[in-house]
Amino acid sequence: MASVSFQSIEKTFGSTKVIHGIGFDIHDGEFMVLVGPSGCGKSTLLRMLAGLEEISGGTIAIDGKVVNEMESKDRDIAMVFQSYALYPHMTVAANMAFSLKLRKADPKTIEERVAKAAKILNLDPYLQRYPRELSGGQRQRVAMGRAIVRDPKVFLFDEPLSNLDAKLRVAMRGEIKALHQRLKTTTVYVTHDQVEAMTMADRIVVMHDGRVEQIGTPLELYDRPSNLFVAQFIGSPAMNVIEGTVRRANGAAHVDTAKGVKWPLAGAAGADGQQVAYGIRPEHLSLAAKGASGSVPGEVVVVEPTGAETELVVQVGDEQIVLVTHGRPVVNPGDRIGLTVEPAMVHVFDRSTGQRIGG
Amino acid sequence: MKLSWRSASREAKLLLIGIPVLLWTMLPIYHLFLFAISPKDSAFAGKLWPDHPTLHNFEVVFREQHYYLSHFWLQLWNSFLIAVTVGILTLLVATGAAFAISRLRVRGGRLVMNLALFTYFIPAAFLAVPMYKTMSTYGLLNNQWALILAMVTIAAPYSIWVLKQASDKLPYELDEAAKIDGASPLQLFRLVYLPLMMPSLVAIGTYALLLAWNEYLYAFLLLSNDKQITLAVALGNFLAADDSPWELLMTVGLIYALPPAAIYYAFKRYMVGGLTAGAVKA
Amino acid sequence: MSPWQAWGAIMLAPYVLVFLVFVVYPICYGLFLARHPASYVKLADDPVFTRSVVNTLIFLVVGINLKMLVALCLSGFFVQTRTWIKWLSLLFILPWAVPSIPTILSVRFMLNPEWGLVNSVIFRLTGADGPNWLNEPPLALSMAILMHIWKSLPFWTLILIAGRLAIPGELYEAASVDGASSWQKFKAITWPSLQTLYLTSTILSMIWTLGDFNSVYLLTGGGPADLTHVLATLGIRYLRLDQVDLSMAAIVCALPLVLPLVYFMMKRLSK
Repeated sequence: MASVSFQSIEKTFGSTKVIHGIGFDIHDGEFMVLVGPSGCGKSTLLRMLAGLEEISGGTIAIDGKVVNEMESKDRDIAMVFQSYALYPHMTVAANMAFSLKLRKADPKTIEERVAKAAKILNLDPYLQRYPRELSGGQRQRVAMGRAIVRDPKVFLFDEPLSNLDAKLRVAMRGEIKALHQRLKTTTVYVTHDQVEAMTMADRIVVMHDGRVEQIGTPLELYDRPSNLFVAQFIGSPAMNVIEGTVRRANGAAHVDTAKGVKWPLAGAAGADGQQVAYGIRPEHLSLAAKGASGSVPGEVVVVEPTGAETELVVQVGDEQIVLVTHGRPVVNPGDRIGLTVEPAMVHVFDRSTGQRIGG
Repeated sequence: MKLSWRSASREAKLLLIGIPVLLWTMLPIYHLFLFAISPKDSAFAGKLWPDHPTLHNFEVVFREQHYYLSHFWLQLWNSFLIAVTVGILTLLVATGAAFAISRLRVRGGRLVMNLALFTYFIPAAFLAVPMYKTMSTYGLLNNQWALILAMVTIAAPYSIWVLKQASDKLPYELDEAAKIDGASPLQLFRLVYLPLMMPSLVAIGTYALLLAWNEYLYAFLLLSNDKQITLAVALGNFLAADDSPWELLMTVGLIYALPPAAIYYAFKRYMVGGLTAGAVKA
Repeated sequence: MSPWQAWGAIMLAPYVLVFLVFVVYPICYGLFLARHPASYVKLADDPVFTRSVVNTLIFLVVGINLKMLVALCLSGFFVQTRTWIKWLSLLFILPWAVPSIPTILSVRFMLNPEWGLVNSVIFRLTGADGPNWLNEPPLALSMAILMHIWKSLPFWTLILIAGRLAIPGELYEAASVDGASSWQKFKAITWPSLQTLYLTSTILSMIWTLGDFNSVYLLTGGGPADLTHVLATLGIRYLRLDQVDLSMAAIVCALPLVLPLVYFMMKRLSK
């Protein structure tokens, strides 16, 4: 178990700079998720931590010791790859024992550790099988078993669930999280799926174009995204973002869109006349009771019932707004309805910088 | 069973091709066999099958009972020794080079690969005379090492090419996993790379071995001492005089031809796939 | 340097060493020996040289095209699924698998005008004497070409078979349904797929045929009277005559043909 520290990390491939000065700390025992769209640099950062890529600038420290010049094998880390990377010519048991054999560990110790890891991951019946005889989920577990046997300071996961089907992914998510709770090893987990990030992480690093957009707990990122990118990346369905201008008069405030729609604004965020991006999550909109004041008028375009909830797409002015509500309201495409906004749940961002305005 | 007219005529057409192909393919080989089992006089009678087939020729050869055969066993041994040495050395050189180029991504690997490819495409016969003069300069003429090294030089480029192609098919993540597991470059080579490359290694070892066994020109140029030459050169030497015992020559030829045929059939699985794959890719 | 880079250099070194000592040096030495313009004048004046250039060209043009055409047809034959064809294909490989010295010598004796098998059979069938196969230059050269084809045909047939097997069977089934004849199927499906492979094989075969020393040397020795020499055997002839500079000059003359072919093959393969 150990802390990990990134300081001013930069990475250049040839003449292209892909990581621009990233720095953050991971606490001992934390499950840290690096999330972001393809090409944001999250895998590159992970691989630099693993020692599989050269560090162009800055330092990485594990447990206080700078590891820039250290070989992968000396960093006391274990990695689970997206494609599992199991040795095809070795049995499951041999795969898991490999790293210990390289260190010339005592055969008894090897056997014990492999047996223990196999038990945790329910791999006992497969120990003598070869990787080609296993399913995707089983192979993934063997890859994890290989990492556990090492008993390393840090676990690294590089999009381990991407190759699994949806149902298996949900099951494995739970297993990985349970594993972490049991072993309490510092974990750095890379994924492009924000649902995985939200459900598994202690803290999340949202990355974009080689930069850190925000670091925080899942709920922090959900409740107070610090910029437009994070706001629209976290949360599904994505946050509705409407462009408009703040208008304050007589103590009341709203955001005017080009088409003249007025979105209610509580709180002090945004000066009069400021160009903003108004954000409201689908789950914080509801259908107005008949005749309610302050509701935003719109016309229903699509109704998508998913059983417990209903997703509606509503045309408001020039925008298509998504709204998620519990139960099954009696609405049909073409109906004119009103939307009520939960005032405390409004997010205001400066239109040009994308940064959050206000507290 | 009712044979339709269409299928019968198709079978006939196929046989029309098949029988000439069989005759064409087997004739020289059958002739070799024919001479080997014919007693001295009837061999020159031009018959299709000897009146009195005999194994006497083989006896004469095995007992080295003729002037031209006085070193038969030694020459056979030379062929064998040189072929095996070339096979092993080529494997060592080519496997290391392919590993360095494909897995370790060594700087300059691409250049070396292209240079090797260039060497492969230049006909070996063109390099024969310069090689002869070179070996002379190095003082290696009439030394079996001259032939061994020359054959390794000729066999290595294609070997490296085939091994690199096969090697590129292994996912790079295996190396990364091994690195993280704590493997040193040598451990990666020994415990992960070699086991996974085994079929290709067998194909290449066999290829180099057969190349050396079948070689005539270089062996003939670089070795001349009766005690050092390979069986191939000894066969060629038979042609020198007019009164050579042709039937004994053919017997030796048959013996010389058997090992490659046997090896080819034994390793057919590895050979055809591994070696033609490189060419079909083009 | 990381241990990984260090080992990379160490493992590459043996081949680099071999390359420098046994390829670069001989090539440089050879070019050095071929440096005198006088050698080329001597070559041009030597009727043996001019004759071998002609022989080589005939060998290439006739030999390769004949061989590749036959390989193309046979590849179609060998992909038919019959048990006896499968067995035949096993035997068909023999000329390539077996060393060429014994087989070429076998053919040499078969063609012996007095007691060889071929002329004996001709005599028995027609009562006439068969031709002097290896002593009449055009016949001798033809025999050398046939010998070369005998040896190398299986390899190229295998290559084209592999090429044919890569064509999806459904294309032929669709064509059958559309009512195509065998020839039409060949023209519309087989040939377009095999074209590139056929071309590449022809080019590669040219390079290797240029280097076929055995087929000529062991069959005719370059004779009679040095009339069947080809480029590959010429070098040895001049070596025997202690005119190594001519050996090398002859090879240098072949380079304008060989190097473009090599360049073409390298472009194809080093992708």
